[in-house]
Amino acid sequence: MTSLTTAGADPVIRVSGLQKWYGETRAVDGVSFEVPAGTVFGLLGPNGAGKTTTVEVLEGLRTPDAGDVRILGLDAVGEADALKARIGVSLQTAALYPKLTVVEVLDLFRSFYGRGRATDELVGLMDLGEKRTTRTANLSGGQRQRLSVALALVNDPELVFLDEPTTGMDPAARRALWDIILALKAEGRTVLLTTHYLEEAEVLCDRVAIMDHGKILEEGTVEDLVGRHFQERAVRFDAVDGLADERLGAMAGVSSVKREDGEVIVYTRDVAATIGAVLEACEALGSEPKNLAVRRATLEDVFLDLTGRALRD
Amino acid sequence: MRPLLLLTVANIKSFTRDRAALFWTLAFPLIFVVLFGSIFSGGTNERSIGYADLDATPASAQLKTAFGSVTGVKLVDGSEDDLLARMRKGEVSAVIVVPKGFGDTVAAKASPADVTVYTDPSQSQADAATRQLVGFVLSAANQAATGQPPAVVPSFQPIQTNDLTFISYLVPSILGMSLMQLGIFSSIPLVADREKLILKRLHATPLRRWQLVGSNILMRLLIAVFQTAIIVSVGSAAYHVQIAGSWLLIGALVLLGSLAFIALGYVIASFAKSEESANGMTSVVQFPLMFLSGTFFPIDAMPDALKTVARALPLTYLGDGLRQVMVDGTPFAPLWVCFAFLAVWLVVCFAIAARYFRWQ
Repeated sequence: MTSLTTAGADPVIRVSGLQKWYGETRAVDGVSFEVPAGTVFGLLGPNGAGKTTTVEVLEGLRTPDAGDVRILGLDAVGEADALKARIGVSLQTAALYPKLTVVEVLDLFRSFYGRGRATDELVGLMDLGEKRTTRTANLSGGQRQRLSVALALVNDPELVFLDEPTTGMDPAARRALWDIILALKAEGRTVLLTTHYLEEAEVLCDRVAIMDHGKILEEGTVEDLVGRHFQERAVRFDAVDGLADERLGAMAGVSSVKREDGEVIVYTRDVAATIGAVLEACEALGSEPKNLAVRRATLEDVFLDLTGRALRD
Repeated sequence: MRPLLLLTVANIKSFTRDRAALFWTLAFPLIFVVLFGSIFSGGTNERSIGYADLDATPASAQLKTAFGSVTGVKLVDGSEDDLLARMRKGEVSAVIVVPKGFGDTVAAKASPADVTVYTDPSQSQADAATRQLVGFVLSAANQAATGQPPAVVPSFQPIQTNDLTFISYLVPSILGMSLMQLGIFSSIPLVADREKLILKRLHATPLRRWQLVGSNILMRLLIAVFQTAIIVSVGSAAYHVQIAGSWLLIGALVLLGSLAFIALGYVIASFAKSEESANGMTSVVQFPLMFLSGTFFPIDAMPDALKTVARALPLTYLGDGLRQVMVDGTPFAPLWVCFAFLAVWLVVCFAIAARYFRWQ
């Protein structure tokens, strides 16, 4: 355990210039980042951004076409076997033997490693006690996902890769998994997760990287990213007929306007003046802004700004 | 070793919890054995011979005891006419008639006593066996009657499997067929595991690929042993099929045959994109092998064109080899050719699978 807490000097993950091509498609196009020990790192991006391919290279499952990947001081390509003993992996789709029970699958995977955690402990941790003797084919989506995360922890790994771990989970199970991830971090372990849920990244991640089209667009702490893009607050309301973006953009304090799914988001440095101007403009049109709300800019806003798309569940 | 063993156990559990796999590998061959066994159970090694004793003297009774004591012969009493009628119906394979006055003739030692034997020369095997049997018993009787030591003592080495009934032809054939199915059906769970990303997930652990492949093979070999035991037991317990050859040779053939067909299963898994296509390809491979490899009827009875096909099929050699070593069947190819063909088949399939198999 000492190695977990004292390994502060060298980053646990160091990726530089990673490229992976599928034919003509550059799935990963020159990705570089570092993850220090004992932190949670989030890889965010829409489907097809190259997150999973990147993670699978790091896990030793794919050979990169270019670049250098060092994980726990090991070369992810040349020393993949040694690496696999020390990492935990949960794939994007839970891969489980359908005819084996929860306990049987855990015991089986436990046998692949020289060290590990007791099956009962993992069953308890993942709240699968009632499903111990259920065949995995009969588990719900959320239960399968929990078992998949349990399998990632079976060898007591120093570094855990979780590829969209909360997909298919209900909100309670999702929060329970957040607690587990934060507990892993508290134990000095490093976690790399990919996710669709920006709220999840805001809660869990020390640092995030936003990926699209095989490239990292921005990387840093959540506050860094939000601060870098927005000193403004976001004022949102349902779109009003006849209220054009140009009109909104000309209002006092407004720096930019976005539209997404019938809602309007106005980023402004002067919330009071902007709301006043919006109300006035709506009144002139014989309407009113429905569901008007003010909030701080979030990662969601950064994402929208960077990719032009929302990242929603 | 521990991962290998646990993975083997996991594979066995997955297998035994899969009703389709259980049916095709265990129930299906047994259904064949029982079905054909019931239809052809008249053809067991026990032969019924009608015995009409018209003389009823101590001498004729003694002769009857001599016939009755031959193993594998069951004497059926009755009148001459009655027995001949039963022989025409196929209930007895031959009829021996001891005429009136037989005892007197033997006692007088004046002229040779007469015994009439009805056989059916069109049933060549049964006919020859009856002639042999009668000759053997009568020469012993002659010796007892004359008190002369025989000049030549015939030494009989009864080879029961010479009388290869259909059921004893069938038992090793069905065993070969079920080993073939066990082997090629390895493709389906393999492709399913790849499709479900289980192979990929396993690749993210320190489990080595040889352990993965090894556990799959080990599981199939264990089931092959189990299958052999069941089919042979049912064959010998219910239908009196005598297993003649060396268990070592049988074991070696079962092992080599299973491996050759598992390798074929891996070839199928190398080219099947989905579990569905693996199912389809397995059927396409399975049925010609089943019907063109001499499983249900001898290859010699096939038209020449099909014989050529049979010569190229691995199940031909596994079935033929098993028949040779288990029930002393007539060879289609020398035993070493059977072994060599299967070995070459194994190596070629292994090489193809090694070249084309994709883990994800």
